[in-house]
Amino acid sequence: MGKTVIEKILAAHSDEHVEAGKEVWIRIDVRSARDFAGASVVNNYRKAFGDQSVDDPAQTFFTFDCNAPANTIRYAQNQQVCRVFAGKHGIRVYDVDSGIGSHVLMEEGLAVPGATVVGTDSHLNIMGAVGSFGQGMGDVDIAYVFRTGQTWFEVPATLRIKVNGIPGPHATAKDLTLALVGTLGSRGALGMAVELMGPGVEGLDLAGRITLASMATEMGAIAAFLPPSEEVLAFSRSASGRDELQYPTADPDATYANSMEVDVSELRPKIAAPPRPDNVHDVDELDGEPVNTVFVGSCTNGRYEDILSVAKILQGKKISSKVTLRVSPATRGVWGRLLREGWLEVLHDAGAIVSHPACAGCAEGQIGMTGEGEVQLSTGNRNFAGKQGKGPTYLCSPATAAASALRGKITSPERL
Amino acid sequence: MIQGKAWKYGDSVNTDVIFPGRYTYARMEPEEMAKHALEDLDSDFAENVKAGDVIVGGRNFGCGSSREQAVTCLKSAGVGAVIAKSFARIYFRNAINSGLLALELPEAVDAIEHGDAVSIDLESGVLTHKDVEYRFPPLPPTVREILDDGGLVPHLKKKLTKEA
Repeated sequence: MGKTVIEKILAAHSDEHVEAGKEVWIRIDVRSARDFAGASVVNNYRKAFGDQSVDDPAQTFFTFDCNAPANTIRYAQNQQVCRVFAGKHGIRVYDVDSGIGSHVLMEEGLAVPGATVVGTDSHLNIMGAVGSFGQGMGDVDIAYVFRTGQTWFEVPATLRIKVNGIPGPHATAKDLTLALVGTLGSRGALGMAVELMGPGVEGLDLAGRITLASMATEMGAIAAFLPPSEEVLAFSRSASGRDELQYPTADPDATYANSMEVDVSELRPKIAAPPRPDNVHDVDELDGEPVNTVFVGSCTNGRYEDILSVAKILQGKKISSKVTLRVSPATRGVWGRLLREGWLEVLHDAGAIVSHPACAGCAEGQIGMTGEGEVQLSTGNRNFAGKQGKGPTYLCSPATAAASALRGKITSPERL
Repeated sequence: MIQGKAWKYGDSVNTDVIFPGRYTYARMEPEEMAKHALEDLDSDFAENVKAGDVIVGGRNFGCGSSREQAVTCLKSAGVGAVIAKSFARIYFRNAINSGLLALELPEAVDAIEHGDAVSIDLESGVLTHKDVEYRFPPLPPTVREILDDGGLVPHLKKKLTKEA
């Protein structure tokens, strides 16, 4: 019987027969913990395994992105606990100057097509963007993987979504993603893997794939996988120096729990209104609603292409005097490229502030929070009450964020 | 065999009410954590819970953060199992990995009321409540082994001892 993408990846990492619904032991290629929960992983590790060495220091990492650099003593202490542990075990730390851990792991050629990756980040299923299986787990889980390089996993069933049509120029990968989250709802793919196929997703670049794969979490999914991409393969081969890498694909006779089709040829810019990511509308439906502050960044929309699209819209213009625009590139690499190409200057001149690379708006306090009644537009992935402050948060694409910052009101980029 | 009294709560019991978020960074031993279990949801619980008692929750039990303290505090309080209509995925994993039985039995959840006597027989896959038997499929062997050993870490220690 044929295998789905996730069955193939897991089967290549297990000695047991892998099929949906079965619990199997799998080998983990990349093991990571971030500054949130990292110290708990260390404590659990010490309690359970004392001074025993980690299974493979070269494949074990800390990535500091939640509160980087730390602006509370609590986070500073936790980061230092991780550094001391890392020093003792010969583990590499991607420290507070690196950027979002999941992106760093992709850029460093560690999360590559076909690999298994775990960490304490609940959006680690973002690795689907490079054809890798990523999963967020609890502190005990990760401590165990640090020690053994293995974990158990229930092989999820797969939902196949065919995305027909090609969206017009104003609809971005984020609009497509929000449309899918809106269609599926937060439990629409609960506990399942999702395989996307069809013309609507085949042409997505790496940045767009990252956007889509990151929000599998908001669909309730274990992970989302996309059609093979030469760009991704070339990116991962170059980043890792491993020319033998292949993109994982499903067998033609793979078994799917369910299949559905959506048509995106008429897709327009989308926005998720508070308080849930699946509360999705056309941006135009909310046209003119006042906005106080705008955040561009996060693991969902912090790539070079995302911030470039904002800079191009703002070039030679000024944002509304009534809004603040906060931008945080996903990684140091993205930040540097925007700097060298002059785009940070464009953003500055338009009235934006550009912060250091990290989780920023999605992590408490890093690039400011909102007060009660302060309306925020965010290119992040969650708008639950309290997640980004006290005020209501809308989720949208970088283009919608830029168009709205110019006018000081919710604005579809179609209107520019 | 797990036997005890049911402590019943509603849908979406989140990790912050199972173990209060304000204690997240307070270093506590499991015995101390047990004293704060469910403290914001049910102030009677910690004082009156007995070994073998069962938590009964609705949908999406354990949603919220990935902190396994929300499992440790219940386990340490003597809770024998958590029964729910459904679990948040990370909570389910954390429960098994800490040796706490987590079962999805929506019909039993509807029938059981706060304070009712409940018994669970893992061998035969039966939960008994007021002479009604609710059957559940045998746990996958992997999950069963981890549970029987008392969690992921003891499971590994046992495996390593066996290999040595």
